[in-house]
Amino acid sequence: MSEPILELRGINKSFGAVHVLHDVDFTVRAGEVTALVGDNGAGKSTLVKCIAGIHPTDSGEVLFDGRQVSIHGPKDAADLGIEVVYQDLALCDNLDIVQNMFLGRERGKAGVLDEADMEQAARRTLASLSVRTVKSVRTPVAALSGGQRQTVAIAKAVLWDSKVVLLDEPTAALGVAQTRQVLDLVRRLAEQGLGVVLISHNMNDVFEVADRIACLYLGRMAAELPTKDVSHSQVVELITAGRSGDLGIARPDMAAV
Amino acid sequence: MTTSTAGARPDEVRRHNRTAVLRRLHVGGPCTRAALATELGLNRSTIKALVDGLASIGLVVEKLPAQRSGAGRPSLLVLPQPHAAVVLAVDVRVEQVAIAMVGIGGEILGRHSWNLHGKARRPDEVLTHIVESSRLLADELSVDMVGVGVSVPGVVRRSDGLVHEAPNLHWTDVPLGDRLSAVFRLPVQVGNDAELGALAEHVRGAARTASDIVYISADVGVGGGVISDGAPLRGAGGYIGEIGHMVVRPDGRACYCGCQGCWETEVGEAALCRAMALPEGSPRGALVAELRSLASHPDSVAHRLGEFMDWLALGLVNVVNMLAPELVVLGDLFTALPAQVVERVSAIVRERSLVSRAVGGTRVVSSPLGRDAKLVGAAELAFEPILDNV
Repeated sequence: MSEPILELRGINKSFGAVHVLHDVDFTVRAGEVTALVGDNGAGKSTLVKCIAGIHPTDSGEVLFDGRQVSIHGPKDAADLGIEVVYQDLALCDNLDIVQNMFLGRERGKAGVLDEADMEQAARRTLASLSVRTVKSVRTPVAALSGGQRQTVAIAKAVLWDSKVVLLDEPTAALGVAQTRQVLDLVRRLAEQGLGVVLISHNMNDVFEVADRIACLYLGRMAAELPTKDVSHSQVVELITAGRSGDLGIARPDMAAV
Repeated sequence: MTTSTAGARPDEVRRHNRTAVLRRLHVGGPCTRAALATELGLNRSTIKALVDGLASIGLVVEKLPAQRSGAGRPSLLVLPQPHAAVVLAVDVRVEQVAIAMVGIGGEILGRHSWNLHGKARRPDEVLTHIVESSRLLADELSVDMVGVGVSVPGVVRRSDGLVHEAPNLHWTDVPLGDRLSAVFRLPVQVGNDAELGALAEHVRGAARTASDIVYISADVGVGGGVISDGAPLRGAGGYIGEIGHMVVRPDGRACYCGCQGCWETEVGEAALCRAMALPEGSPRGALVAELRSLASHPDSVAHRLGEFMDWLALGLVNVVNMLAPELVVLGDLFTALPAQVVERVSAIVRERSLVSRAVGGTRVVSSPLGRDAKLVGAAELAFEPILDNV
């Protein structure tokens, strides 16, 4: 079996007195969609923010492509090839698609932007994902629908040749039909060999696209399982109770024996 | 094609010509009226009347070309209007179902896909999901479907879309065509996946200029579609295409089909997983990622994929000797193979195959349509009756 592209071991994180993540182990494999599920406040977003370098971790190690790395900021994460897509459609409304995709990393020489080059790269990327719903790459983002915006945000990850894409509830702000288009794109990202992490509350979405399911319960990793080995209700039990039959966190009294 | 036979009635001729014009625009994309007249061998005024007719029902629009070429009044450019005729294309795979709305001219307007595991693979579940998802997609795009095309990895009766047997899906005698057309109240065409892959390559992919091709794709199983002299080769009942069950290694692994050492067991997904040291049944993406990573270590290709390459080449030599194609297109999972593997295999085929030497060197290429080939093929299948009847 090949090395996981990203591996977290024993991650701990506290905000003041609140211990948010307890010894969390988490692996992301290239070419797979790993769904990260859990109740509100289970620590999903915190975990993603730790990987993205927004929050520093208190302890634990991060391995990227088998090498130990330290991520101290979003720049470090981006340099490794980790890209994050947030639920709130975080793009600049007043800029067009190309400007958004290259925001902060514009191409050009001697202070002059190479617009033609950037435009071509953006168009190539959208084509490689078979995105044909966007008419022109010079459309201002304000004029796009929610689904199209999310498409642009995800395409950005591909443009930068990312290895791992973290999607924090990418469909939370979308309607049913648009959600499906975005999930289709998520699937195709993985099929191109990227490691994809999808945070979602929707069990149907999770079962439709994920290869593996990782379940957080009150800051602990309750289980990490292949989707085909678990049922809907087992995952719901893992989310709400942290355990389901033999799966999940052992009961305290069992552990004491 | 565009010449009328003696005794054909004028409206039949007109209809025939109209289909020819529409097919040319659908396959070749926008084109000037002058070029249409030359290509189809029709009179300019005939073309005008036909194009006007198509424009009046909204299937095409005419525009002045942006660039002028040559002197004189420029000929009007005729553009097909994707939203005017939209079909639903469905690609049922063993691990996944993909659907797409495809407009005339071949543009994919919107798409969706979902994984299949366990119960979700049952025909009822798959059908319900297809119907629900396609209605949502049609609503979002605000289009009306005019036809449906479905690709299935199994043995299919073309006349009514009955799926006799799809072994990897565990389907037997599923009246897929009848049930879908009862729900959608539209013409539904169902075809074998490899045959539709070949159709897609012939119409929109690597084989547009070739008339004798073999399309071979690896998903969970390995299948083939054959186009001979420009037309699909179907065999009795349309059951041709089980190229993956050609026995190449009598002492090899047992295959579910009852034979031992089928080609599929040496070059299918499971074999690639073995070659890349992944557990069988790994997600497709993981296998693709491993194959892609080989590109950065060209030296290790021969070591990791050497045996696989030998079996692939051996099967291909047999296929080429039997069917004499000018072009072999490798599709689906095979498109993830490093370029040097395809080149090497192509070289072996040219060297060893008697027929390849006779036809002047059969080319082996990787499909440019990749994973979408069967979806594109399903759309083309759905368009066939529609182009004839509008």
